[in-house]
Amino acid sequence: MSSPPQSSMQHLDEMTILLYLERQLERAKAMEVSTHAQECDACRTLMRAMERESRLLTRAMLEEEEPLPARLASFQEAAKRSMQWIWMVMFGLAATGIYAIYTSYIAPVQARLQDAGFGGTNLLGLLVFQGAFWKGWQSMASFIEILAFLVIGVSALLLFRRWFRRGTLAALLVAGMCAALTMPGPASAFEKRKGESIEITKSETIKGDLLATGHRIVIDGTVDGDVYAFGQDIEVNGHITGDLLTGAQSVRVSGQIDGNIRGFLNNLTLPGTVGRNVMAWAQVVNVDSAGKVGRSLTTFCQTLGVDGKVGGDLVAFDQSTRIAGTIEGGVKAQGEMMTITGTAQVAGPVKFEGEVEPRVDSGAKLGSGAVDFTKHKANSRMESKSGYYIWRLLWSSSFILLGLVLVWLMPSFAGECVTAAENAGASLGLGVLVGISAPIAAVLACITFVGIPVGIFAFIMWLVLLFTAQLVVGGLIGRWILGRTEDTWGRVGRMALGMAIIGVIVPILHQIEFIEALFRMAAMIWGFGAISLALYRRVTRAPGTYAAPPMVA
Amino acid sequence: MSAPGTAESTEVIARARAGDKEAWGDLYRIYAPAIFRFCRRALPTREDAEDATMEVFKKVWDNLHQYDATRPFTSWLYKVAANHCWDTLRRRKIRQDKETEDLDSVPLEHPDANQLEQLIEQRTSEEVRKALDKLPSRARMALVMRYYSDMSYDEIADELGVRRAFVGVVLLRARHELRQVLESTGALAAGGAG
Repeated sequence: MSSPPQSSMQHLDEMTILLYLERQLERAKAMEVSTHAQECDACRTLMRAMERESRLLTRAMLEEEEPLPARLASFQEAAKRSMQWIWMVMFGLAATGIYAIYTSYIAPVQARLQDAGFGGTNLLGLLVFQGAFWKGWQSMASFIEILAFLVIGVSALLLFRRWFRRGTLAALLVAGMCAALTMPGPASAFEKRKGESIEITKSETIKGDLLATGHRIVIDGTVDGDVYAFGQDIEVNGHITGDLLTGAQSVRVSGQIDGNIRGFLNNLTLPGTVGRNVMAWAQVVNVDSAGKVGRSLTTFCQTLGVDGKVGGDLVAFDQSTRIAGTIEGGVKAQGEMMTITGTAQVAGPVKFEGEVEPRVDSGAKLGSGAVDFTKHKANSRMESKSGYYIWRLLWSSSFILLGLVLVWLMPSFAGECVTAAENAGASLGLGVLVGISAPIAAVLACITFVGIPVGIFAFIMWLVLLFTAQLVVGGLIGRWILGRTEDTWGRVGRMALGMAIIGVIVPILHQIEFIEALFRMAAMIWGFGAISLALYRRVTRAPGTYAAPPMVA
Repeated sequence: MSAPGTAESTEVIARARAGDKEAWGDLYRIYAPAIFRFCRRALPTREDAEDATMEVFKKVWDNLHQYDATRPFTSWLYKVAANHCWDTLRRRKIRQDKETEDLDSVPLEHPDANQLEQLIEQRTSEEVRKALDKLPSRARMALVMRYYSDMSYDEIADELGVRRAFVGVVLLRARHELRQVLESTGALAAGGAG
């Protein structure tokens, strides 16, 4: 729009007119503008046009072209409160469910295994029930118990919050959390030491757990508890009655550890005794001729040498494994090469999966007589890989087709699911909770008066939702890339793009053990939670809309 | 049912502040449609607006004790809503914070009033709403705050994080952008018709 040449007088600029109309000018300036507008047709016309523009804007924005959505018509304080309760109840249910599974199934199995001794070479069994992670399960159980108590406490506070002032409530909550965090564990004392060089002398005895961080850590004395040691060089010449959890460059245990060793390190040398299990991610692990491991030895390393004695099984994922000592259980190893020297004794079966046939020296005493060897074939790997990629391609295509049908059938709900997934925290949290509690509820329904059909239906629904969960994550990725849309085919396209990207990412992650599984699990939980959240929002919608009086802005 | 700003709604607000659940329900019913419309105008999609409305009322419920009863309730309510919507746009990284506050770039021209009159005459409310949807988030937010909820220049400056003297510039630029969209859609429609 250009300036009109109709008058020789200086016209008001648009900014000044706007500020005048919006009453933002000082009195003197406003008077000046008013006087000018009375004399100048062009400015008066522009002023009138801009005023009409303001009114048009206000009218356009205030018009009620769409009614209040049903979801909002029902959303009131009560809905808000019920949401809180549902979260609380679900969290409590999930915590109770996990605790019930632990106490009913895992703990008894573990106890039976402890009583009977563990002789198999099942890695999962080793890790979960007898391995060095056992303590972690105990901690997790305690954590869940604390969480359950917290849920009950917070629920009680919310229930009686009318009697508390807001500040008091907040103070009580914070105090409760602090108390839970600072509450001493069952084993009580926990000593921390930090410094360049830490030494527990021969005459010294530490009652309780020890956390030591330093360049060099030497334990000549006794620690009556667990030791968490992180440093460069760690030496244990004394006695640890619990476990040693460590991250270090070099660890040497010539003393005695009654519990387990678990660690991420460079070198582990073991001329001493470990009462239970050893699990190490390391470059080099050596069990010296005087070294003893009471139960299993599990290693993920480059070079493993066993000259001493292992009371249980040896599970090795190493490049090179050398056995010269005694293994009272079996051996299951994977890697490039394995050597069993003439001095070796292995009571149980020996299985090796590797590139070259293991070398077994004469004089070696093997309970099974010979090594059960499986050779890795380069071409079989290729075959399996190409098979995997074809399978992934088919899988991704079928997912995209399924998603296409679902989005086309339920475009609005599909959009709501993806929107819910944008709230990552709530989706992931809800995904974990519903993912765990739904099958428990289904089983409970089957064994109680609710009935088997309801239980089976719930379980099938759970499986279907779990199956379709990835589609939601696909839709979210598509939305991240192409932006939001309310168009059905736009949603289909975004979902397909997202699923295609997942289809590319998963095979890449397949190269790294566990990462692919973790990624898929995270995607499933995320999507599952988002569907649950969207369903919840749908369920809480009111049957009709509410026509509220217009609000004058 | 009372309209906002009446003595009855003032009483409802007072009862809601005292913890009366029914009053809270009434308060919600009175103000939810207006807040939903505000969010609908400020945010990209209807789903966003629904979510935002719920979030705004959660915040209102949690902070009702902070409301200064000597000031208009709607002003406070719109401030909460504007804050939430602007924050949502920030989290999505789709708002523009880096607009220059260069006052030299303020358009000081005197546009053709007749052309503007004609444009306003020809456009319906619906076309204006559609044009608003196409504006950058900052321009749209500024127009919504000013012409929907009648927020003051100080409040808009505070919300957008600009100097008060710059609010007029933001609004005028937003109006220019809106005119451009309206002109282009009009030209398209004319081309299509022809």
